[in-house]
Amino acid sequence: MNTINTLIIDGLSFALPLFIMAIGGIYSERSGVTNLAIEGLQGFGAFVGALAATLLSGFFAASSQVPMFLAMLFAMLGGMVYSMLHAVLCVKFKADQVISGVVINILAMALTTFLTSQLNASVFGAPSNKFVLGTSVRFSVPGLSSIPVVGAFFSNIYPFELVIIAAALIAWYFLYKTPFGMHLRACGDNPHAVDAAGVEVGRVRFAAVMVSGALSGLGGICFAYSISAQFSPSIYMGYGYLAIAALIFGNWQIGPTLWACLIFGFARSAGFALTQALGLAAAFSDLFMTLPYIITLLLLIFFSKSNRAPRALGEIYDKGKR
Amino acid sequence: MANDEYIVEMRHITKRFPGIVANNDISLGIKKGEIFALLGENGAGKSTLMSMLFGMYEPDEGEIYIRGKREHISSPNHATRLNIGMVHQHFKLVSNYTIAENIILGIEPRRLAGIFPVVDIKGTNEKVAALSRQYGLEVNPAAKIEDVNVSTQQRVEILKMLYREAEILIFDEPTAVLTPQEIDFLLQIIRGLRDQGKTIILITHKLEEIKQVADRCAILNRGKLIDVLDVAATSTQTMANLMVGREVDFTVDKSPARPGGEILKVEHLTVKNADGFPVVKDVSFTIHAGEIFAIAGVSGNGQTEIADAVAGMIPAAEGSITLDGTDITRSSVRARTDLGLSYIPEDRQSVGLVLDFSLADNLALKTYYKPPFSEKGILNHAAFDSYGEKLIQEYDVRSGQGIHTVTRSMSGGNQQKAIIAREIERDSKLMIFVQPTRGLDIGAIENIHRQILAERDKGRAVLLISLELDEIMGLADTIGVIFSGEILKIAPADTMTTNEVGQYMMGVKQA
Repeated sequence: MNTINTLIIDGLSFALPLFIMAIGGIYSERSGVTNLAIEGLQGFGAFVGALAATLLSGFFAASSQVPMFLAMLFAMLGGMVYSMLHAVLCVKFKADQVISGVVINILAMALTTFLTSQLNASVFGAPSNKFVLGTSVRFSVPGLSSIPVVGAFFSNIYPFELVIIAAALIAWYFLYKTPFGMHLRACGDNPHAVDAAGVEVGRVRFAAVMVSGALSGLGGICFAYSISAQFSPSIYMGYGYLAIAALIFGNWQIGPTLWACLIFGFARSAGFALTQALGLAAAFSDLFMTLPYIITLLLLIFFSKSNRAPRALGEIYDKGKR
Repeated sequence: MANDEYIVEMRHITKRFPGIVANNDISLGIKKGEIFALLGENGAGKSTLMSMLFGMYEPDEGEIYIRGKREHISSPNHATRLNIGMVHQHFKLVSNYTIAENIILGIEPRRLAGIFPVVDIKGTNEKVAALSRQYGLEVNPAAKIEDVNVSTQQRVEILKMLYREAEILIFDEPTAVLTPQEIDFLLQIIRGLRDQGKTIILITHKLEEIKQVADRCAILNRGKLIDVLDVAATSTQTMANLMVGREVDFTVDKSPARPGGEILKVEHLTVKNADGFPVVKDVSFTIHAGEIFAIAGVSGNGQTEIADAVAGMIPAAEGSITLDGTDITRSSVRARTDLGLSYIPEDRQSVGLVLDFSLADNLALKTYYKPPFSEKGILNHAAFDSYGEKLIQEYDVRSGQGIHTVTRSMSGGNQQKAIIAREIERDSKLMIFVQPTRGLDIGAIENIHRQILAERDKGRAVLLISLELDEIMGLADTIGVIFSGEILKIAPADTMTTNEVGQYMMGVKQA
């Protein structure tokens, strides 16, 4: 009973940040811009958020949760600003989107590691390669949380999970229900049609990449608060790539992508639960951490055939070319 | 001081592109409510001229007047505001959107869902349905573009213009992608639009269409306006001569066939597509030396798959293919090539040529591994060059830098000439031509038809696959009509009328 509860609680707190990053990826890719930069975007966003929280925490009481929400806001801003690098390279300068994404990941890792150490030494006077964040409080919904099994979905919730659910609903609304979303999805299928309809393709794609940056940043800072309670280079665990895998299994659609993220989340928490249940040494938990990736490989075999990427994905839009 | 008679007037329009004058001092006027055709060969400057009217380019010199007022049309949006619409040769549609969504793209109507504004799809569906009824363009607004055929997609493009209240409708080569029946239907729609007061500009190089629908016709040749003619008072022959700039011979001189032995024997051939669905079903036919066997059919009924299976591009699921006594059902493409099979594919740019290779390399693409092109595994470029020079002389392949031209930069007609030169020169027993004249202009078509007949007269077996019924009726010795993957009828060409073949093509008449 308890194991199942832990499994659900931990699974959700992992799956939701993954989900919001994957939605960011969906925005970018549905507009036609391949985005392998999610890993770097979430790391950079988390860095900016963690820095903001560390700088601002002095203004609040030690137990205050306000810095965490500020950190989320700054993480989104940081991810968004950093993603503009990808947007400028891919949209304005028509660079190769795969190379741009990979470079942005490497750059993010190097830059944030360097800056964290430098800032710790110079600003905070304490040499360290991490920003220590307060832990997030958790809460349970009274009543609902005491229902067997299902109650686990309402217990020990991180506040960020609610933020993510709200952000996901807003993202869904804009992508599927508004003219902007229509233009965005059309850009990923046939940018010429969008151009002919009098809408600027470059502008739509630029905005889509920025949304992806903001949402990745949000995902990153949530990982920082939930998994490690700190920002350090260990934020680059490959979760950004896992988000890309999730959106591909989700066929570039928000609904199915949620399921993919939940599968990854529960696979991960099940791995932990299994090490504990078997009484294995902690070292084995590292082995079980590979579960989501092994599942990725297996799912790839089954999903690759039926899934369809946006038709114009990765294609540089050139007005003159027909 | 514009002439009130004209809704569109272009005066002294000149447009230059690097190295070429696309339009040279062209002046013409188009009357409200007429169907005005622009006739010319590929590269004559028709599309460029109309692109300027639609705001995609701005003229270097000259003036454009719309409804008597001088306009600088700076973008397609600007043209739309002036009630000008255009159906491009390559449709600009979003394939995973519905018809209605495509029509409203860029000018989405909104409604409130609770407190949230959302795109009003339901209201659009009703409006599009009403619009499609008004102009006789039956479409289902909720169907996705990827699920409907090409002619429906074209109707969506027309509806897109009408939804934006276009008064002046430009059609760029609208019939290039359609079957004969669809062409008739389209021309009917165009007439209907004129009768409802729209002004139509039709860009085409097909004379029959102009003869059928146009009121007046401007003829362009190499960027210059040759003449503006009253269509009813002008013969097709005159128009053709003016367009090409010389006398055109429409009749193909065809001597009677002298068929020899069996060259290609296809028995019970079944071909499946990627989903495992049979697209060619139990097809059998024989082609003799010195015979042109043509397969007629509406696009997508399995005819290209037959050609691809014979050429070895896709596997045969069942049945056998025999080339001059050798079973080639399981042979590699290379083995078939070496046995004497030439293939002029439908998609000349992706299957026929390596576009980024030079002309010389492309001309040796099927022989490069043999001497003199390759000795002991090392390529001999001198042999490529001399062979290329010889072929471009003999087959009159024109290009910017001779054999060193990158084929991507060549015109479609010359790309096709290069492929045909390469394939004919290999002296094969069987020549497969798939849509050999698609997208080419009259001069080039005439030339290719002569070559196909010459190959037959040399005693080669020819498999011709074409969507142009006229081409089939003009060239074939034997006609096989395919419908839904099955050959419904095989008969000598002189025993069938065009009408009869057309009926089999639609699957109406059963053998």
